[in-house]
Amino acid sequence: MASATGLDRRWIFLVMGVLVVSLYVLGEAAEMPVNEYVQSYYDTIEALPEGTIVMLSADFDPASMAELLPMYQGTIHQLLRNNIRVLNVSTWPAAPPYTRAEFDRIAPQYEKVYGVDWVELGFKPGDDVAMGQIGQSVRSAYAKDDRNLKPLNELPLLNDVSAGFGGISLLITMSAGYPGILEWIAQAGGRYEVPILTGTTAVQTPDLYAYYPSQLEGFLGAATGATQYLQLVGEQTEDVHESRDRNQARMLIQSWVHIFIVLLIVVGNVLYFVGKRSAA
Amino acid sequence: MKREIPILLTVLCGLAITWAFFSPYGPSQAVNDELLAWGTVLFSVAFLLGIGNLVRISLKQISSGHPDRYYKALLLLMLFGYLGVGISEIHGWFGITEGDNLRRDWIYNRIFQPLQATMFSLLAFYIASAAFRAFRARSMEATLLLVAGAIVMLGQVPLGDQITGGLASRWLAFLMSYINAAGQKAIIVGAALGTLATGLRIVLGLERSYLSE
Repeated sequence: MASATGLDRRWIFLVMGVLVVSLYVLGEAAEMPVNEYVQSYYDTIEALPEGTIVMLSADFDPASMAELLPMYQGTIHQLLRNNIRVLNVSTWPAAPPYTRAEFDRIAPQYEKVYGVDWVELGFKPGDDVAMGQIGQSVRSAYAKDDRNLKPLNELPLLNDVSAGFGGISLLITMSAGYPGILEWIAQAGGRYEVPILTGTTAVQTPDLYAYYPSQLEGFLGAATGATQYLQLVGEQTEDVHESRDRNQARMLIQSWVHIFIVLLIVVGNVLYFVGKRSAA
Repeated sequence: MKREIPILLTVLCGLAITWAFFSPYGPSQAVNDELLAWGTVLFSVAFLLGIGNLVRISLKQISSGHPDRYYKALLLLMLFGYLGVGISEIHGWFGITEGDNLRRDWIYNRIFQPLQATMFSLLAFYIASAAFRAFRARSMEATLLLVAGAIVMLGQVPLGDQITGGLASRWLAFLMSYINAAGQKAIIVGAALGTLATGLRIVLGLERSYLSE
């Protein structure tokens, strides 16, 4: 357990644990400045006319829930509040239980009707091949909806959707990795020229700068992006306030953890060079 | 024939998909539609193959008294237990029916979700430990990596930005929008050209590594 510098790693774990837990208990929410990528994400949705259909793809699982679920909640609020219809899909098998729970909770607040205002098509296996098939034709990709197992022609929303992303004005994906945003850009953005927005984990966010603003209209990067986005959505949506405050408080924890890690890097390097000089 | 038929199928499918990409109308789209449907069916079949292989290996380890045999048994129990509950709920077998409180959702929410979230959150602790023990400025490249990493970590959070008087977020924006984006674009274009070349070789029957050749 003892490292080359003589410090048992369990001390680091302990300090980290104490830091996280104490800040979780004592931390307070604080407003963050909003960056241009988040503002662009928000503005793109705001600019959509009422009645527009948006495809919302949940491409995540519980491991990335802390980062992506708040974005997902905020996005549903913003879409439904603006009377935008939502076609919900997923290329990750673990996502549908979350998406259903969120729609069950949020849709009644805006008096939305299933089948008319939103439809859940559920998980589609096949990764980027599945994305290609969804883009090619939603009807050939899905025989029935995921909630009521009804044929798609019995759902009014689907009457306005045609092959090749016809009728769909925007694609939004909450992406935790593969398959996710990079595959959607290749399968949908490039081929059908559908505008794309995304929310991603911190690990994936650096990949997105190369695509903005040509292939990506905007993006939410990690917990930071989620917090900034919830601040924007929260201005007009009271239900988001709790989630926004929780995220803002978590950013304080993340702030201190980042500073702690930077300090560890500095101290580790100082000890390394001191040790090297002593050995010489 | 064992080699020729798979190569012929690959060439035909590759040409059909390419044709459909550049000809978005008529029969090409019908063929494309069909091939994509086959692709997703094959993908689903691969799940079954994966399960079969997992069961085979796990049973072998359990019967041979492998040190991990209890974990393997638990894995099989969860695999078939969850599968059984899910299928039973869908078909209404054994009095288990679809309702507001699905048992598979309970298993998912109470077992799977906390376990996976916990495993992922442990990363923070390992990163902290690795930061102290492994991130060393041993060379110019490593030093640049360390400095860039520190700037990104500080610039990404409100407190880090306050401590540096707003410098960290400005440097972060510069690093991400210029240095990172330029590097990413170069990698993306390079990878795309590589993919194109490999795709062409497969479609032309020159690349046969997928046949284990």
